[in-house]
Amino acid sequence: MSAVMERRETPAAAPVKSRRRWLTRKTAPYVFISPFFILFAVFGLFPLLFTIYLSFHYWDPSTGLGGMKWVGFENFTFVLTDDWFHKSLYNTFWIALVSGVPQHLAAIPLAFFLHTRLSRWRNAVVGLYFLPFITSTVAISLVFTSLFSRDYGLINVLLTQMGQWEVAGLRPLGWVFPTENIDWNDPGYTKWVISFVVWWRYVGWNTVLYLSALQTIPKDLYEAASIDGASRRQQFWHITVPLLRPMMFLAITLSIIGNLQLFEEPFILTGGLGPGGTSIGGPDQAGKTAAMHMYATAYIESDFGTASAVAWLLFLIIAMMTWANNKAFKEKS
Amino acid sequence: MERRIILDPGQWIAFMVVAVGAMIMLGPFYFMFVFATHSNTDILSVPPPVWFGGQFVANVQVLLEKLPYFWNNLGVSFYVAIITTALNLFFCSLAGYAFATYEFRFKNLLFMIVMSTLLIPPFLGMIPTTLIMTLFGWMNEPRALYLPMACSALGVFLMRQYISSAIPRELLEAARMDGCGEFATFRHIVLPLTGPAMGTLGLITFITSWNNFMTPLVVMRDMEMYTVPLALRALQGSGQVPWGAICAGSSIAVAPLLVIFILASRRLIEGMTAGALKG
Amino acid sequence: MKIMHALLLSAAMSGSVAAQTVTLEVASFPDLDRGIKAAIPLYQEAHPDVEIKLVSLAFGDHHNAMTTSLATGSNLPDVMAVEVGFIGKFAASGGIEDLSKPPYNAMQYQDQFARFTLPQATGGEGNLAAIPVDIGPGALFYRQDLLQKAGVDESAFSNNWDAFIEAGKKVKEKTGAYMVAHAGDLKDIIIRSDLEDGEGIFFDKENNSLVTSPRFEKAFKVAKAARDAGIDAKVKAWTSEWTEGLRRGQIATQMMGSWVAGHLANWIAPESAGLWRSKQLPDNVYASWGGSFYAIPAKAQHKHEAWEFIRFLALNKSMQLEAFHKLDAFPALVTAQNDQFLQQPIEFLGGQKARVQWKEAADRIPAITVNKYDTIADEIVNAELDKVLLHDKDIKEALADAHKLIKRRVRY
Repeated sequence: MSAVMERRETPAAAPVKSRRRWLTRKTAPYVFISPFFILFAVFGLFPLLFTIYLSFHYWDPSTGLGGMKWVGFENFTFVLTDDWFHKSLYNTFWIALVSGVPQHLAAIPLAFFLHTRLSRWRNAVVGLYFLPFITSTVAISLVFTSLFSRDYGLINVLLTQMGQWEVAGLRPLGWVFPTENIDWNDPGYTKWVISFVVWWRYVGWNTVLYLSALQTIPKDLYEAASIDGASRRQQFWHITVPLLRPMMFLAITLSIIGNLQLFEEPFILTGGLGPGGTSIGGPDQAGKTAAMHMYATAYIESDFGTASAVAWLLFLIIAMMTWANNKAFKEKS
Repeated sequence: MERRIILDPGQWIAFMVVAVGAMIMLGPFYFMFVFATHSNTDILSVPPPVWFGGQFVANVQVLLEKLPYFWNNLGVSFYVAIITTALNLFFCSLAGYAFATYEFRFKNLLFMIVMSTLLIPPFLGMIPTTLIMTLFGWMNEPRALYLPMACSALGVFLMRQYISSAIPRELLEAARMDGCGEFATFRHIVLPLTGPAMGTLGLITFITSWNNFMTPLVVMRDMEMYTVPLALRALQGSGQVPWGAICAGSSIAVAPLLVIFILASRRLIEGMTAGALKG
Repeated sequence: MKIMHALLLSAAMSGSVAAQTVTLEVASFPDLDRGIKAAIPLYQEAHPDVEIKLVSLAFGDHHNAMTTSLATGSNLPDVMAVEVGFIGKFAASGGIEDLSKPPYNAMQYQDQFARFTLPQATGGEGNLAAIPVDIGPGALFYRQDLLQKAGVDESAFSNNWDAFIEAGKKVKEKTGAYMVAHAGDLKDIIIRSDLEDGEGIFFDKENNSLVTSPRFEKAFKVAKAARDAGIDAKVKAWTSEWTEGLRRGQIATQMMGSWVAGHLANWIAPESAGLWRSKQLPDNVYASWGGSFYAIPAKAQHKHEAWEFIRFLALNKSMQLEAFHKLDAFPALVTAQNDQFLQQPIEFLGGQKARVQWKEAADRIPAITVNKYDTIADEIVNAELDKVLLHDKDIKEALADAHKLIKRRVRY
C-alpha cells in the first residue's frame, strides 16, 4: 500500500524534464487508475467477497468468526419467499418513486429558471436549495420529528389553522386543509413523510447537477432559435431538454442507486430502533425499506447470513434498475 | 438576456414558488439554530419556540459536560475530512484523467467496474471493515477513516467528465511534443485546468466525510477519537435526551460546512460545468 | 495470587514490570454511564493504580459495536455493559467469560442479588454471562387527580381488564385524558402475567413458540378493546408526544419500570409533582422493565481488574445506594434493597413510600428464562398486533401467523 503511494508521489516532486521509463504512454493509464483499484481491492472487494461467503452461511456474529454454519442457498430461498422482504421492497420502490420523480420534475424547471431568470442572486438561491444536502441527519431528524409531531407539531398547527379558518361561520378552506391534527405516524402517512424529507434533502443536489449542465449549453443556440421565432417554451423543449439528456441520465442513475439504498432518513423518521429495540419502520412496518430490513435482519435478529443474502438481492435489483434506465435512455436517443 | 423590470403573472408565480421552496429548504435549519438556544422543556413544549432564546451558552455547557472531548472530536472530523478531500482530489483526478484521455485495453470494462462499485449497499461492510482494520492495527486511527474513502467512484466519474470536455487533446499532445513526461503532463498541464471540478469534488468529499457515521462507529473506540456525528449520537440514550445540547452541537458542526459552502458555492456550480464554456 | 496475577497482566500489557498502572476500558451507554462516572473517583481512592477509561455510545450503537467486536474478537473492552434485552444473545455467544467458574465463582453471590436476575444472565449451557447492577421492577403510575375527577378509584387496577377499560372510558369522557399511552403497553403486561419460575415469555424449553397460548390471545383482545374504546393515545414511549402528553396530563396512567418516576420528576412532568401515585401492576403481574448488567469479554485484557471493578459496582452497598439515590436505578443488590433509604417518602408521588412497594414487586418477579430469539419473537408479535389494531385482523389468525413467522425465522 505505502509503496504504491510513494511511487505515486515521487514523480510529482521530480523535475519536469526527468522521464521515467516505466511510465510510458502505455503503462501510464494503468498506473493512474491503480489507486482506485488498490483501495477498492483492500477496502471494497474483501467486504464484498466476505458478504458472498456469508450469504451461504448461518452466522450469529456474537459467536465470533468460528460460529459460521454452511447452509447453501437456504438464505436466498428464505428471503425470496419472505413477506417482510417483499413488503420492504414495495416500500422502497414506493418511496423511491414518490420522492425521486418529483425531485427531477422540480429540479429541472428550477435549474432552468435560475439559469435564465436569475444572475446576481443565483448562487445564493442555489445555496439555499443545497443546504439540506450538507447537514448531518441527527439534528435534522429531531427537527422534522418535532415539526411532524401529531399534537404539538408546527405543521399540524399551520394546517389546522388553515382548515379551521372561519368566515361567517363557514370554513372555506376546510375541504383542502384538515380541521383536525393529522397523525403523521399513521401507516397511511409514513411513506409520504419520508418521501417528502428525501425530496427535501436531494432536490438541491439535482438542481445543481442540472444547472451545471445548462451552463454548458452554448448561448448562441438560444439566440439562433429566438431569431427563428421560437418561443421560450419551444426553446425549453427543443433545445434545453435534449441537451440535458446526458445529465438527466447521470442524475436519474444516481437517484435510482441512492433511493433504492435509502436507510438513514426512514430509519430515523420512524423512530430508529424504538425503545425496546425490536420494532423498526414504524407502525405496521410502513416505513421499512429494504436497507432497513437488511439492518434489522443483521442487528436485531443477529442473522448476518440472511442479511448478506438480502444485500446481494438488493444489489442485483439495483443493478437491474440501473441497466433498465441505461437501456431506456439509449433507445430514445 | 435583457433586463426586464415588469414581469408577467406567470413569472411572478414562478418567483413565488421558488421563494416558498427556498423557505421550505431553509426552515429546518432555522429551527435547528433556534432549538440550540432553548432549554429542553421549551423545545418539547407546544407550540415549539419559533424565535431565538437565551440558552445557547447553557446548552454548550451541557454539551461540553456530557462530551468533554467535543473540541477534540471537531479536530478529528476536520483532520479526517481534510485528508480525505486532499487524497480524493489527487487520486480521482489522476484516474479521471486516465479514463478521459488515454486509450488502453479494458478501458471500458475497468470504467464499468468503477461505476458498478456505486451499486454496492454499504451496510454489511461494517464487520468486514472491522476485521480489516483490526488486521492492520488501525483501530482508533484516523487513517482507518480516510484511506477507505480516498478515491471515490463518483469522484473518478466527475473528473473524467470534466477533463474529457474541458481539456483539449491538442494541448496534451503539444505538451508531449515538448518532452513532457506522462505524469508531468498531468501535473503541469491538466491539474491547473481542473480547478472548478476540483472545487465541486472537494466540497462533496468534505461533506461526505464530515457526515460519515458508519465507519467511525465501528473503528473508533476512544471517545477522544470520535467524529462529531458519533459524539452527538452518544448523547441519545434512552430517557432524557439533551436536545438543546444536540442542536447546539449540530449547529457548531454544520458551521464549518456552511462557511466552506459559502466560499465554494460559485465553484461548485461552475465546477459541474463540463467545460463547454471554455472549450 | 491476586497481586501476582495483576503483575503478570500489566507486565504482559506494557512489556515492563515497572509500569504498574492498568487502564481499564469500560464500555457503556447513557444513562448507565453516569453511574460509572460517579464511581470512578471513589474506586480510584482505593485503587490508585487503576485508570478507568469510559467509552459511551448511544444505546443501540453500543450494542451494535459490542456485537461487531464480539464477531471479530477484537477491540473488546474490559468491562462491557449489557442491557437485559441483549443478554440472552451475548450469553449464547461464547465470547463472554463464564462468571460462575473460577476465578470469579460468582454463584457464591447468588443470594445477594434479586432472585430473578441471575437466571436472566444465564446462557443455555448454564454459563453466567453477567452480573446485574440495576433492575426495573414494574409499577403502574397514575394521575390521582384525573381519576378522582372522573370518579374512578383504584379498583380499576385489579385483575379485571374490562373494569380497567370502563374506567378508561370515564376518564376520557370526564377529563379528556387518555388512559394509556399505547394499546400495545397492555399487551406487554398481559403476556407477562401468570409466569412461573423457569418459564419463558415467548418460548418453552424446547424453543417452541407460545404465542398461540391463551395468554397472548387475552393480551391481544384487551389491547384491541382498549383501542376500540378510544382510551389509548396511540403514542409510543419516549417520543415527544409521549413526554408532552404526560406533562400536560393527557395520559392518565403509565405502566413501566419504577425508574420512570425519576424521569417524570426530573424532566418529563416536574410540574405535576404530588399528583402521581404508584401501584402494583394489574392482573398480579410482576415484571421487570430493563435492567443493566456487566460482563467481561473472553478476550478482555485486564480480566482481574475488570472483575474487581464490577464487584465494586454491583456488590458494594453504598455504590448501589448512590446510583439509586442519584439515578433512580433500582439496586439489584438485596442488602441495598433492604436499606432504610427505601422507607423515605417520595414527594413526587404525594409522599408515598413507593420504594417499599417496588421492592415487594422485585421479590415476586418470576425468574423467567430468556431465549436468544426473544427479540425476533417480540418484533413479530408487535408487527402482528399492529395489523390487529390498524387493520382489524382477526386475533386468532394474527397469532397463528405470528406463530408461523416465528417458526420460519427461528431456523437454526
